[in-house]
Amino acid sequence: HLRQMASTKVPEVRDITKIERIGAHSHIRGLGLDDALEARQVSQGMVGQLASRRAAGLILEMIKDGHIAGRAVLIAGQPGTGKTAIAMGVAQALGQDTPFCALAGSEIFSLEMSKTEALSQSFRKAIAVRIKEETEIIEGEVVEIQIDRPATGTGAKVGKLTLKTTEMETIYDLGNKMIESLSKERVQAGDVITIDKATGKISKLGRSFTRARDYDAMGAQTQFVQCPEGELQKRKEVVHTVTLHEIDVINSRTQGFLALFSGDTGEIKSEVREQINAKVSEWREEGKAEIIPGVLFIDEVHMLDIECFSFLNRALESDLSPVLIMATNRGITRIRGTNYQSPHGIPIDMLDRLLIIATTPYTEKEMRQILKIRCEEEDVELSEEAHTVLTRIGMETSLRYAIQLISTAGLVCRKRRATQVQVEDIKRVYSLFLDESRSSQYMKEYQDSFLFNETQATQMDTS
Amino acid sequence: MAAESWKDVLKSARKTALIHDDKRKVHYLFTDGSEMAEEYDLRTDELILRKWRRRSTLGGQGPWEVEVGESHSPQVLSGEPDLLKENISNPIFMRKDTKTSFQWRVRNLPYPKEVYTISLEAADRSCVIRTSNKKYYKKFIVPDLDRCKLPLESSALTYTHANNTLIVSYKKPKEILDFEQELLKELKKLKATKEDDNDCRTQ
Repeated sequence: HLRQMASTKVPEVRDITKIERIGAHSHIRGLGLDDALEARQVSQGMVGQLASRRAAGLILEMIKDGHIAGRAVLIAGQPGTGKTAIAMGVAQALGQDTPFCALAGSEIFSLEMSKTEALSQSFRKAIAVRIKEETEIIEGEVVEIQIDRPATGTGAKVGKLTLKTTEMETIYDLGNKMIESLSKERVQAGDVITIDKATGKISKLGRSFTRARDYDAMGAQTQFVQCPEGELQKRKEVVHTVTLHEIDVINSRTQGFLALFSGDTGEIKSEVREQINAKVSEWREEGKAEIIPGVLFIDEVHMLDIECFSFLNRALESDLSPVLIMATNRGITRIRGTNYQSPHGIPIDMLDRLLIIATTPYTEKEMRQILKIRCEEEDVELSEEAHTVLTRIGMETSLRYAIQLISTAGLVCRKRRATQVQVEDIKRVYSLFLDESRSSQYMKEYQDSFLFNETQATQMDTS
Repeated sequence: MAAESWKDVLKSARKTALIHDDKRKVHYLFTDGSEMAEEYDLRTDELILRKWRRRSTLGGQGPWEVEVGESHSPQVLSGEPDLLKENISNPIFMRKDTKTSFQWRVRNLPYPKEVYTISLEAADRSCVIRTSNKKYYKKFIVPDLDRCKLPLESSALTYTHANNTLIVSYKKPKEILDFEQELLKELKKLKATKEDDNDCRTQ
């Protein structure tokens, strides 16, 4: 009867699985290239920018090979031409195992850490090591799961899990997290599971053969496995991918009570880094580990100053360096920290090392396509005319503004209990929210009535 | 003698001794970064606790692993108490040596004596406790014998069951007895700092 209790409770908690929020680039799933690295017009969420995507595809191949370290790429183009989208596409195409570290140029300016430390850390976050490590796991067949909820409905749940092998049986007390993941994985009596002791990660191996008689109760794809033998707790070798930064952190933690007084700044000593570099190359020579150089993506790179650029110049020469992708939307501008002007605000010696990919403004057709993809992503249905109007707006103002209008128009449409966004909805939100040029226009006209307008004579330098 | 190399390892380790709570506490730091801590009863010279802390592959510090004696911290399986831990009704396995034998105790085993079989597996130098009702199974090694590279003898193995506890004993061979005597003599030579709890100054 306990078993039954557990199984009837499972559907109730199913909705725990989190829904991902929709971000600006969540529709991008890759670069959208074919096998010959030619860009398809519309694929994997990418539209247009054929030449830049092909260029990015070549860089991607280089990264995947993993032989070349310390190359740098600059994606330059006007705002809203898909620079970040291309970088995200590269990240998606690289997959889970290749480290991809993204940061904005301004992120490195922090009071807690020097600029170069922040850059070093990001560099090391972009390089991973695949290494075999022993971990302890629990492997057994589920005899029974019992989860009790407090009668009041709030408070911690209590649970018990009984696992067995052919030789033994053990009862475990479950914590809250474990209860959640067990119900998320829909673990039932008769399943053979493994639990990673350190992380609590559960994997289902299949159904036990002894339960084969309730076959009709489950799908045809159910796998049957033998009940594990021996002890429930086992040591297993697993391959881990960890970034160099993670190894740094593990090794630089001040130990014992001294940690209380050390005033942790988050900076990592260079001796620690050197030791780890030595250790990693030792592992590589012994064949114990494999180095995976990944990608460091710095958006808004013109925000970096001259010191950072000189640091990057040096860092790119190390053989433990990732591929660096930078993006900027600036033309010829001042290099931060100097009075010199330079293309993209990047010093000439740095520019000399870069492969530069240019992005160009989207055509009307491409804009239409992108808006369509975004509508699908945001689950908003657009009528044909509304789509045309929105594309027009996008061409005249900006792609970003048009994308903003999708969800707002969607809401307006839902409020009038319709399912498809019509031209009126677009008009409505277009009049409610100003775009950049209308806002500027408005400012010019009504400048005098704003507060502090008498002091605005000096113009602010925003670079 | 076979125990030579382990002796050398012990000799090269950095040792710190401390007398506290009627116990002689010795800390060994080995050249590979791993640590061993032992506690001996001051009056009887019996080993009360021996635990190890080894470096993980990536250089992190692992948790203390108790080899001999009772671990005082509850058996939480990982750093996070939110995951899972063994229920208190489960059998508890621990090692508690006497002067003349290695001894393992499994508490919370209510089954009668006929249920248990204890055997030696030559292949991986381990002892195995089996139960005919398939409730408990434990494979364990005798690290002391492994370290001194001594053979396992099934004649040295005995077991009893009383008060819900299964006691497995392995009679220490002469080499081990000699070695332990010698080690204890060495440890007594170590200059031990006497720590007084009441005299804990802030600086």
